[in-house]
Amino acid sequence: MKTSFNPDEQDRTAAGPALTRRELLCRSGMGFGALGLAGLLADGGWLPATAQAETGYRNPLAPKPPHFAAKAKRVIHLFMNGGPSHVDTFDPKPELARLAGQDLPRPNLRTERKTGAAFPSPFKFQKYGQSGLEVSELFQHTARHADELAVIRSMQADVPNHEPSLLLMNCGESRLVRPSMGSWVTYGLGTENLNLPGFIAMCPGGYPITETQNWQAAFLPGIYQGTHINTQHTKLDKLVANVRNPHLAPDAQRRQLDTLARLNQLHRDQRAGDEALEARIHSFELAYRMQGEAGEAFDVSREPRHVLDAYGPGVQARQILIARRLIERGVRFVQVWHGAGQPWDNHDDLEQNHRNLAGQCDRAIGALLTDLKRLGLLEETLVIWGGEFGRTPTVELPQAGANAGKINGRDHNHWGFTVWMAGGGVKGGQVYGATDEFGFQAVENPVHVHDLHATILHLLGFDHERLTYRYAGRDFRLTDVHGHVVRELIA
Amino acid sequence: MNGRLLTLWCACCLACPVGAAFPVAGRAEQPAATEAEAFFENQVRPLLAKRCYGCHGAETQEGGLRLDSRQHLLAGTEGRPVVIAGQPDQSRLIAAVRRQGELQMPPDDRLPDAEVDALVAWVKLGLPWPQSDRDPPPALSRAERYEQDRLTHWAYQPVLRPPVPADDAAGWAQTPIDRFVLAELRAEGLTPSEPAERRVLIRRATFDLLGLPPTPDEVEAFVNDSSAEAYERVVDRLLASPRYGERWGRHWLDVARYADTKGYAFAQERRYPYSYTYRDYVIQAWNADLPYDRFLLEQLAADLLPLEPNSPRLAALGFLTVGRKFNNRHDDIDDQIDVVCRGLMGLTVCCARCHDHKYDAIPTEDYYSLYGVFASSQEPGDLPLIGRPEEVAGYEKFKQRLDELQRDLDANRAERHAALLDAARRQVAEYLVRATSARPEGLLEKLPFLSLSRDELKPKLVQRWRDYLRQQFRDDHPLWAPLHVTAGLDDAQFAATAAERLRACLERPEGTGDGQLNPLVKQALGGELPATRAELANRLGALFAATYSQWREAGGNDAAREQLSPASRQLLEVLLAAGSPTDVPLSELDGYVTRAERNKLRELQKKIDAHQVNSGGAPPRAMIVRENSQPHDPRVFIRGNQGRPGDAVPRQFLFVLAGPERQPFTQGSGRLELAQAIASEHNPLTRRVLANRIWMHHFGQPLVTTPSDFGTRSEPPRHAALLDYLAWSLAAGDWSLKALHREILLSSVYRQASLPRPDCEARDPENRLFWRMSPRRLEFEALRDALLAVGDQLDTAVGGRPVELFAPPFSRRRSVYGFIDRQDLPNLLRVFDFASPDQSTAQRPQTTVPQQALFLMNSPEVLQRAKALLARPDVAGLTDDDQRIQRLYQVLYGRPASDEEVSVGREFVRAAGDAPELSSWQQYAQLLLLSNEFVFVD
Repeated sequence: MKTSFNPDEQDRTAAGPALTRRELLCRSGMGFGALGLAGLLADGGWLPATAQAETGYRNPLAPKPPHFAAKAKRVIHLFMNGGPSHVDTFDPKPELARLAGQDLPRPNLRTERKTGAAFPSPFKFQKYGQSGLEVSELFQHTARHADELAVIRSMQADVPNHEPSLLLMNCGESRLVRPSMGSWVTYGLGTENLNLPGFIAMCPGGYPITETQNWQAAFLPGIYQGTHINTQHTKLDKLVANVRNPHLAPDAQRRQLDTLARLNQLHRDQRAGDEALEARIHSFELAYRMQGEAGEAFDVSREPRHVLDAYGPGVQARQILIARRLIERGVRFVQVWHGAGQPWDNHDDLEQNHRNLAGQCDRAIGALLTDLKRLGLLEETLVIWGGEFGRTPTVELPQAGANAGKINGRDHNHWGFTVWMAGGGVKGGQVYGATDEFGFQAVENPVHVHDLHATILHLLGFDHERLTYRYAGRDFRLTDVHGHVVRELIA
Repeated sequence: MNGRLLTLWCACCLACPVGAAFPVAGRAEQPAATEAEAFFENQVRPLLAKRCYGCHGAETQEGGLRLDSRQHLLAGTEGRPVVIAGQPDQSRLIAAVRRQGELQMPPDDRLPDAEVDALVAWVKLGLPWPQSDRDPPPALSRAERYEQDRLTHWAYQPVLRPPVPADDAAGWAQTPIDRFVLAELRAEGLTPSEPAERRVLIRRATFDLLGLPPTPDEVEAFVNDSSAEAYERVVDRLLASPRYGERWGRHWLDVARYADTKGYAFAQERRYPYSYTYRDYVIQAWNADLPYDRFLLEQLAADLLPLEPNSPRLAALGFLTVGRKFNNRHDDIDDQIDVVCRGLMGLTVCCARCHDHKYDAIPTEDYYSLYGVFASSQEPGDLPLIGRPEEVAGYEKFKQRLDELQRDLDANRAERHAALLDAARRQVAEYLVRATSARPEGLLEKLPFLSLSRDELKPKLVQRWRDYLRQQFRDDHPLWAPLHVTAGLDDAQFAATAAERLRACLERPEGTGDGQLNPLVKQALGGELPATRAELANRLGALFAATYSQWREAGGNDAAREQLSPASRQLLEVLLAAGSPTDVPLSELDGYVTRAERNKLRELQKKIDAHQVNSGGAPPRAMIVRENSQPHDPRVFIRGNQGRPGDAVPRQFLFVLAGPERQPFTQGSGRLELAQAIASEHNPLTRRVLANRIWMHHFGQPLVTTPSDFGTRSEPPRHAALLDYLAWSLAAGDWSLKALHREILLSSVYRQASLPRPDCEARDPENRLFWRMSPRRLEFEALRDALLAVGDQLDTAVGGRPVELFAPPFSRRRSVYGFIDRQDLPNLLRVFDFASPDQSTAQRPQTTVPQQALFLMNSPEVLQRAKALLARPDVAGLTDDDQRIQRLYQVLYGRPASDEEVSVGREFVRAAGDAPELSSWQQYAQLLLLSNEFVFVD
């Protein structure tokens, strides 16, 4: 029998005046018994008063330990939305070159659109590192860290469509409204820096497909939802809402808050012991500090020249560098989306588009891994790279309204694709699983998205079956009733 | 989405596999369970053994009752329970040991009080009994278990008027509510708090009922009103205010998971043009004190009630239709079942979508019974107008443009439709080959006579041909006999046996009647017989296509048809007749268009939808549902998978409420009957759930801690009798919600002070016994509205299209009228714990985080409010600093400032200094808005 995780259990505190500890206990799957019983027994005189529920206030984002000790403390999820082609990046398939332009010897698997003949990768692959990991020229900078990467070549999702696959990858469910992985992790672990949001989703230019659902909290308290940052902007007030007073200098605001604190104290003196009042007083102090901290965290100009150069130019480089700065400051979960819409969705002109897209981020990803190592953060930081699915090894056939009819792109492919992880207790320098000889379908050690989630939670110290939340009469979890931890991926 | 069918499968209560009927006793590993069981072992079991087993044990069972196992105990006697877990007062066993009725046990000696108390506590705890010691795992069948739950779970029992505890000599108790609360307080050795000061009370009641602060004049009037009815008059004034519906309607909108957008809508207009008509309906219903049963009936079945055709009441159906659209009918229906069952009755029926409910008596059959009800209605494309469109300003212009846009869409659809039918008729040969072939698609492509390159065949048309042929296939059919007699033959078998079978057909007399063979068919098959079945189908199809061309060339009209020979006419008829495979109805066009065509159609539709959202001249419409001509006869989907239909089930109500006597619904979809069953005074859940939530909004915490789950795993209410009293009085008072508010607000419980009392806090830290009024923090809407109100800026316009709240120039409408985009819920709403618009929410979480503080400290909107506060004539007009500070305190907090507070204010204003755009007074006004006193209501 399993007991459920209750992130608030260790500190015996409540999340606020309405979401009391009692409720949090109940919703966290502790069952309704624990407290009600204690209360009843105490009321009846059968239990000493000390056994009664203690109340007290604590920020719902305060750090909490997971189920067991784990190396990974934070996550950077580099999301190549639209679906990067695995046979052009981390899963070389020489067989496609041999069959170039011919039908595969077996029927093409059904994907969103019709595909035709074998489409060999236009990119060169090369072995890297001691592990000899094969990576294409698109990710040559990333590949310098080959020995840190665990490349899962046998990923599988359920359907070849963006919307359900994005939701599956982010929330573990294709259609219904469920909390995202980042919100689960923040719910489970809190965050180490209360001056910054615990879960940040950066996306330049707007939203990806399915928009804010990708980082939704659903039925978890709203505070666990990802905070979207449009990294196209460079001005701080455009990046973070209300982070700066347009009229008051910091010292003037400090004076204002000091007076506020005095008045609040007078108010509280007549209402001794009300933790909710205390919590709100405290929140203004946190907010004041957050103004300074956020400004600093998002200001990449504070980095030395050689670091900026290492990440390279452009918005991808800037937001990946911001990701590192956020992680350094203790933000729990950072998602870095490549861009609004679905940039990696190259139904046409795959060669040129993939070259551009990888060109925008590869160098910065390499620099990020270098940096994390240099700062000693890689061990504690789980870096995840991938999209919602991969792409077909066969060329997409022309179809009005679906593509430009150039016959030089690839369709979506959920049957098999690649995700890699690094740092955070991952066993690097390995390839796990394999697709068939053409790269169409995972055939060896398939890893479903649910398995990936189970493994990520494990790396963070959670038993994915015990990280639950009570809602609408039942206990929910990220992996629903699925998911197996892939032990081979863990160092 | 063209993905494979998804199997639904949910993680139901994985963590707690034991304890279905044991709301309190947890798992063995939990200290709670151990303590409960220890309590049972130490206090209860010896008592039962000593006092009861003699007559009700393993040897003898007097009266058919056995008490030496939990199973037997729950089984009761003669089909009636003797205990209801969690409810000692409703348990016959307790009445018997208390010697309250005819039945008195034990028969000879009264039990010592301590033993009675132990039994009461044990029942209250839900009858903990160690698992290992229970009888062999329940031998009850599913039906027996359900029946037992139905008869024993507290929430399913009829709502009866509970006896009101005896009067209180001290005179504190003014109403029955007070007596129930007082009885519980006394039982725990606690006393109620002093009455709140009048200034506190009016502020509390005004925020509570209106979501706004009282004006200084209102406060002073009440403080100075010495009449006995002063408070009652305040309550009545508040209940009559139109602001009341805006406050309490918003609580309801949380339950109704209201939003103004559909959710993710790739190529469609995302906004609902008319969602606001539902929001306005709700506000008006609460303001008008529409009886709650009627309110429910209208929201579930207004279209089936005798209403005027354009009645504004039709907007009530938005309850069913304003949810997220999942682009998947099954999920849309699931959302409706959830909002109806969990939202109105606290039943988690959606847990039974994939399998029987793990804990409650809700079989998966019941889910699909309700599924059938909702699947029998749909949202029509043409929503009915409500009210009089001609009275809407700008209507003519709106209508003109709308008609233009609609014509564009209709023309495009008509064109696409004609092209679809034409292509389908020209390509009969290819479709027939496909439809009659059992071979894998890939091989078919290799047949030399197929030319699929230009227009791809539509899978749905192939299917239509298959369905059609299945109906037509007869040995004696003049057209289809040759295909029929060779059905099922593979190429080798065809080569061996088809010739003989076909010759038999060819020997039939020529003609178009049964038993004859159409002469054109005969001609096509004469000469060399086809070598494969595909070739046979191809020849027949070519015949159809040729006939179609001939007709088209002759004009493609009735006259041209008359010119054809009877044999040709018979062929043509197959292509043109209503219901023929090549006669796709216009209404089904969307399933047959290409991606590019669909994009074009969506674009045109989006223009229409956007026009309705954007044009002020669009008259309001009701987001109704309409019954289908044929109700849907549901089948269980095994594991929730619509690809695996199981047993058929009738459309009917839930067993746990309707009982073994239930009958299937008989009127159409059954939606009206469902509504009546929910809004019935015999439904024990509807009223208990509502009464619990009303109480929760007044006191900050519910009586049943899970306000949307009254199932067997919910914790029984601490104040069961009080809850039943409230639920009972609701129906007794003609379902008037205002009457219920009134009774609660006039109680002494409600009028208590909120100040802390260490002695009570030590015993009941969460104030579950209501020994004081718990202070409460304003929700986002009340906070924002209060900021507007104190600056005299609140725009009290009622109803209408949603307004943008968060972009400058900042709207001054009440927050309830803000635009809610469920797909992109503004960060600010999330940060302030706004109810998720994707799920029915009875109770919002309440968090305290610095992002809330940042909004108040820095947002341009709040700075505007601070400036407006200071610009009030009654503030700005005062030149004396102290007087001005005093006035601000009156406006904001409804009380005078203390000397210390005045001096703090004076000091700040003098020392702060003016910033270029924010004077020191404005800074001071802002910090007063930030204070705890402003956002916490005592």
